[in-house]
Amino acid sequence: MIELDEFTAQVRAFLDGAAQRRPHPTGMVTWGEGTDRISYFGDEPAEVDKANVDAARDWQRIRFEAGFGWITGPEEYGGRGLSRLHDLAYDSVESEYDVPDTGVLSLIGLGMIGPTILEHARAEIRDAYLPAMYRGEVIACQLFSEPGAGSDLANVQTKAVRDGDEWVLSGQKVWTSVAHHSQIGMALCRTNPEQPKHKGITAFLVDMSLPGVEVRPLRQMSGGSEFNEVFLSDVRVPDDHRLGEVDGGWRVTMTTLMNERGSVGGEGAGPVSHVVQAPFLLAMLAAHGHSDDGALRRRLAEVVADLIATESLNRRAVRTLQAGGTPGPEASVSKLMFGSNLTRAAHLAAEIAGPAMAADTGLWGTYSWNELLLSTPALRILGGTEEIMKNILGERVLGLPKEPGNDAKVPFKDQLQAGAAS
Amino acid sequence: MTELTSQSERDDLRESVRAFLAAKNDEAALRRAIESDAGYDEQAWTQMADQLGLQSLVVPEQYGGDGLGLVELGVVLEEMGRVLLPGPFFSTVVLAGSALAAAGGSAAEELLPELATGARRASLAVLEADARWKTDGFATSARPDGSGWRLAGEKSVVADGMAADVVVVAAQTDSGPALFAVTGDDGVSRQPLRTLDLTRRAARLTLTEAPAQLVAGPDQARAVLDTVLARATTALAAEQVGAARACLDLSVGYAKDRVQFGRVIGSFQAVKHKCADMFTRVQLADAAAGDAARAVDGLDDHLSAATASAVAHAVCSEAAMFVAMENIQVHGGIGFTWEHPAHLYFRRAKASQLMFGGPSVYFERVLASLGA
Repeated sequence: MIELDEFTAQVRAFLDGAAQRRPHPTGMVTWGEGTDRISYFGDEPAEVDKANVDAARDWQRIRFEAGFGWITGPEEYGGRGLSRLHDLAYDSVESEYDVPDTGVLSLIGLGMIGPTILEHARAEIRDAYLPAMYRGEVIACQLFSEPGAGSDLANVQTKAVRDGDEWVLSGQKVWTSVAHHSQIGMALCRTNPEQPKHKGITAFLVDMSLPGVEVRPLRQMSGGSEFNEVFLSDVRVPDDHRLGEVDGGWRVTMTTLMNERGSVGGEGAGPVSHVVQAPFLLAMLAAHGHSDDGALRRRLAEVVADLIATESLNRRAVRTLQAGGTPGPEASVSKLMFGSNLTRAAHLAAEIAGPAMAADTGLWGTYSWNELLLSTPALRILGGTEEIMKNILGERVLGLPKEPGNDAKVPFKDQLQAGAAS
Repeated sequence: MTELTSQSERDDLRESVRAFLAAKNDEAALRRAIESDAGYDEQAWTQMADQLGLQSLVVPEQYGGDGLGLVELGVVLEEMGRVLLPGPFFSTVVLAGSALAAAGGSAAEELLPELATGARRASLAVLEADARWKTDGFATSARPDGSGWRLAGEKSVVADGMAADVVVVAAQTDSGPALFAVTGDDGVSRQPLRTLDLTRRAARLTLTEAPAQLVAGPDQARAVLDTVLARATTALAAEQVGAARACLDLSVGYAKDRVQFGRVIGSFQAVKHKCADMFTRVQLADAAAGDAARAVDGLDDHLSAATASAVAHAVCSEAAMFVAMENIQVHGGIGFTWEHPAHLYFRRAKASQLMFGGPSVYFERVLASLGA
């Protein structure tokens, strides 16, 4: 395997030729200069959204052609066959350059579904989709959550019934990110209601252009439509698009979720990382004339201390990876802190701004906080609610016993479902 | 700068300190020490120096020490914090040791080698009647007397002030603040104080024309005290992480064992989530303390030593207090008894949180370190 130093030099050579370096961050904030957009979820007009997706696809293709599109992937699918460390090294160098954000492709499709296809799909399906995905042509989404299967993902009710060489899928999926840009989706379906819930699920790769697939935007409380509802009405999926065994979909799902990268390494703060940190918050305190307000200073210091400590936690996870270890429970702790930090920062900004955040008075960097403020409840829900993250910490890290219950033992058809009691 | 020790060397250090403390400071021994006149096991102090060399760890090599950093000392202090080891280790090695090493000069040459061997115990006396950590404007006065100095005034809440053979005293000269070493009993009256923390003693020192030796003059004293504060809050953070982790372990152990309503209580989400919250704060504190040690040792330039130590002091103080409180709640009634160790951790957590001024001061320090 190529040494990390040599690999990093290759990355630099590629990026120097293909992109511009970002101006060196000074850590200083000049209040009132530049954009004051403070957004976590996008709320772009459709044409801007499309242009961003096109740019992401183009950049992914350029990366792929240069040999950096799938650094940890097998060479037969255009990957480099290198380690997670090489992948991290690439990300670290690329962060110095001004390149399009490829999250629409990478967070779900390339990061989670690609590795699942590699491990659980048949050879012809791997050939058909993997190079196309990592070349930026095919975007994938995750048809997982349902109205009745949120935290309890194994409770999915979307049905798949076998019909010769095909399966007929029907049901409703919800909170599906990037479905409106996707060519394929990975769907979890109930194939055997006689079995307990984890043992009657099968996973399929669904061509999103098939008849019966309907994607409807879901408007979230912050105003934008980052997510979708996906309705599946008698969608006929060939059996060769099945992932893993019949009724073995939970094992396939675990592969997908194991590849969730979370916010380790500080990639989580993303679009708001420039405002949710000490220099911006201090500049805001001064701009609003509250630099001497003891109560606000105290609240600000509490937020800033946790923000800085969370960065320390993320850097430690990266050091652990670099030393060849696997990051421990930092990921769950980081996620909890991330949700908490952004929530507290947004409410602190509101306290600093006062009425000028409740109505748009035209003050720079003020009313614009609302986009983040209105997104913060989601940060404590998506990717595992706070309660689920705490169960994970309590049970898997601290070894505390699960809540007693027989939902994992009784046949799915006999389980209590919402509305059954009334 | 590269690390002075490898992870496996630090693991070995942790293991030997943990084994030593398990033998010398189990709960029965801890309670005996608390009840004793000295307040700590004087024999264990000597063994700690002779067998493990812990007192010499961070003393610079030129003064007979090992020249290691807070990354290494942090391992030791975490273990000491875990078992609430009483005694003048923190006051000697961290408080007085940092002051003397930062000042350098003849006082350091004379005194640090004896601190490094454990032959003398020491402390630092900054606080006065107003109980504020400061670097100037001391009420205690110093006047030259021949080749030495004479000090007059009262120093308050001196950590392990009864045990200290050497006390580094902050006092005001005609030309500004300075630091002095008081090594004898002449003109020094010591009064033990009742303490919230039963595992760390404190004393009031009344100085009446007490002979003293100059450690750092007005040109140097403020900078030395700032260095001491950064090092001491970073070292304290490691101790707090150790104590906090001990509380977490006690809670998790109890939650797996205690049965109510026919179930172990750790299976209730209300208790499980409390433990998860404790774990989260301990992880965060551990990361902050680690980064502060790395910054102070010059191993990492993501943060200035001033910011990293201020953040670690705030985050670790809050975490240790939170975990010590929640530990009692997880235990319920048994956790509120004198016989249960939970209150010892609660007491240590609050006293440590207040040692350099408390929350209103340490949160301001975070902002000050960022130029606000």
